[in-house]
Amino acid sequence: MAGKTLYLGVGILIIIILVAGVFMMQGGEEQATQTTPQEAQTPAAGAETGTKQEAQEAKTETQTEAEVETLVIGAPLSLSGKYAKEGEMSLMGALAAVKWINDNGGIMVNGKKYMLEFKFYDDESNPDRVTSIVERLITQDGVNFLLAPYSSGLTAKAAPVAERYGAVMLSHGGASDKIFQQGYDYLVQILTPASRYFTSVLDMVKAVDPEAKTVAIVYKENEFSRTVAEGARAYAEKLGFEVVYFQSYPADAQDLTPVLQPLKDMQPDVLIGGGHFADGQLLARQINELGIKAKLIGILVAPALPDFYENLGEAAEGIVYPSQWEPGVTFSPDTTPQGYEWYGPTVDEFIKYFKEVAKERGKGDIMPSYHAADAAAAILFLAKAIEQANSLDPDDVRQAMNDLALFTFYGKLKIDPETGLQIGHDMIVGQWQNGNKVIVWPKEAAQAEPLYPRP
Amino acid sequence: MVDVGLVVANLVYGLLIGIIYGIATVGLNMIFGVLKIVNVGHGAFIMVGAYVTLLLFTLAGVTPPLTILASMAVGIGLGLIFYYLVIKYLVDAPELATLLATFAIGVLLQEIVKAFMGADSRGFTWNLGNVEVAGVSVALSKVVAALFSIALLGIIYLVIYRTKLGLAIRAVVQDREGAMVVGVDVDRIYAVSFALGIMVTVASGSILAMYLQSGIHPYMGEIYTLKGFVIAVMAGLGSIPGAFIAGILFGLFENLSYVALQSIEGIQPLVLTRSIAFLLLLIILLVKPSGLFQR
Repeated sequence: MAGKTLYLGVGILIIIILVAGVFMMQGGEEQATQTTPQEAQTPAAGAETGTKQEAQEAKTETQTEAEVETLVIGAPLSLSGKYAKEGEMSLMGALAAVKWINDNGGIMVNGKKYMLEFKFYDDESNPDRVTSIVERLITQDGVNFLLAPYSSGLTAKAAPVAERYGAVMLSHGGASDKIFQQGYDYLVQILTPASRYFTSVLDMVKAVDPEAKTVAIVYKENEFSRTVAEGARAYAEKLGFEVVYFQSYPADAQDLTPVLQPLKDMQPDVLIGGGHFADGQLLARQINELGIKAKLIGILVAPALPDFYENLGEAAEGIVYPSQWEPGVTFSPDTTPQGYEWYGPTVDEFIKYFKEVAKERGKGDIMPSYHAADAAAAILFLAKAIEQANSLDPDDVRQAMNDLALFTFYGKLKIDPETGLQIGHDMIVGQWQNGNKVIVWPKEAAQAEPLYPRP
Repeated sequence: MVDVGLVVANLVYGLLIGIIYGIATVGLNMIFGVLKIVNVGHGAFIMVGAYVTLLLFTLAGVTPPLTILASMAVGIGLGLIFYYLVIKYLVDAPELATLLATFAIGVLLQEIVKAFMGADSRGFTWNLGNVEVAGVSVALSKVVAALFSIALLGIIYLVIYRTKLGLAIRAVVQDREGAMVVGVDVDRIYAVSFALGIMVTVASGSILAMYLQSGIHPYMGEIYTLKGFVIAVMAGLGSIPGAFIAGILFGLFENLSYVALQSIEGIQPLVLTRSIAFLLLLIILLVKPSGLFQR
């Protein structure tokens, strides 16, 4: 008897747990489905909220003309997965630019006023999601103008889909040169491609010290770093430098002394290279340990992060690095170079708009990273091109981009008509001086004189 | 033309990194020697030691050589915990079970460290200036790291060859049943040996951190698991002094093959040194399948 009741009790308990579990799972799913569209819809509302906003606009502006329409720009962005951080930054940058444009009268096409909407979906840093989102944006949401997803890898996945439907796509997070050698007609690059990462650094050396002669390049063995290194070698030779050393190290190298040892006697004027975070730090440390002297030492990626100095201390002093953008740049309408037209927010305005967006998205008081600036610049370039084309046809807009020469808070923007590669935007050069990152090049953006030669 | 200065420099650096490789392999070989278990999670324990040094130095300002003691304590603790929780039940289990279990332990450690410390690659600066070794300027911290490796090996050697405990360990290695018959508590010896092996491994992580001072992240150990296996197989699985010497040989060979490869035009030598090191392994195994130091 006692045994039977026990079994019965246990059985009932199991059933209760199972039922409760099923209910909880359902609840969870419901929640999930509720939040996802919300996430994706609120800032990038569909037609419904769009008309509401139009109505509001019309009311508040009390204009005679009610001819305010909505133009939707779409994007797959990584809000989760391995690129979540960069994706969120890109999103906030794009939203800040959209907000600035709308606050400053939207864009005029054919006498009609358009307010911008930014519609995005989370691609989960997943290449398969990227392709389906791009397809959905174009076919279901009717979007003709797109930002690419973050990173070269995902951009390479998105580009063929946009190409197939003839939608313009702006790459703001894909520095690879390779994607632009595939013959895509509708893909346009906003950030500086890998092959030109070190051109600003070499230009700076040439300007500060015309005597400098020899260049050594030491880089990580992977696609991105190799493209950077080969681009740097070609450009150095073009400027009349002699490339005396060109060596790579494996991606997971723990000790670079064999590669660096010969540089001790060589004493090149310029030593550049690196790859990503970990190896860049290792490179800087071992250059210092071995006592290798060069008038300029430039390293990719790693020095741009604050923990570079935390980890290396004195050894970080004087090291320069190329960067797409830094919040401290001083590009302004007054420094607009010949042949370029100023457009968009000033640096301070951009930071202000970015901070508002960040607050709205519950990210607190944060500064924009270069990822945010890349995406914002893409929106500005696109908006200006649409205005210039005076048409919403993607072919006309793509055509107009070829003649566009913009100067923005992000610097110069100009594309190669043939490939869509970015040829206007230059990397800025930062340097660690007395424990602080300062911008030392180009002159229009510099905060301080470069410390040269490195002590 | 081979530059003599370059050869000497690579000899010195090869010797130094080789000593570190050596001490980082001793624990692996010791555990295999006594328990006949291949610790696939080896590298994760090295990573733990590196974090002990990083944290003690950056947060509390403890000088890195002293952190080796802390790592030894952490190592004994981890060794005992994992022995009594997992390894104890697997001593006579099929190989695949022990491989999986130690692999799981490694993943567990990596993910715990990642959860608390994040996946960022970290480093610190402990600069003692440079010294001349055979005319080559070397960071003193690297030399100190190598010296502590030798000291640590000395301690292990003394424990195994000069103490009663060591005698019992050697007895178990030679003949488990025989040891049992004469009253050796085999289970306890297993526990102690595993703990000692993990102790050396974690401590070698501290020494490695002292040597490199950068690239400390949750997955840093994987490359040392790989190199550790190569060195252990080269030495002959189980041999403790053999593992150390094989480590030195591996370091020297890696660096010297770099010099040789550098004289060939149009290739990237550092990328190729590893394949050369594996070629060496292949040749050694062809000539002496049981390893260099195995009777």
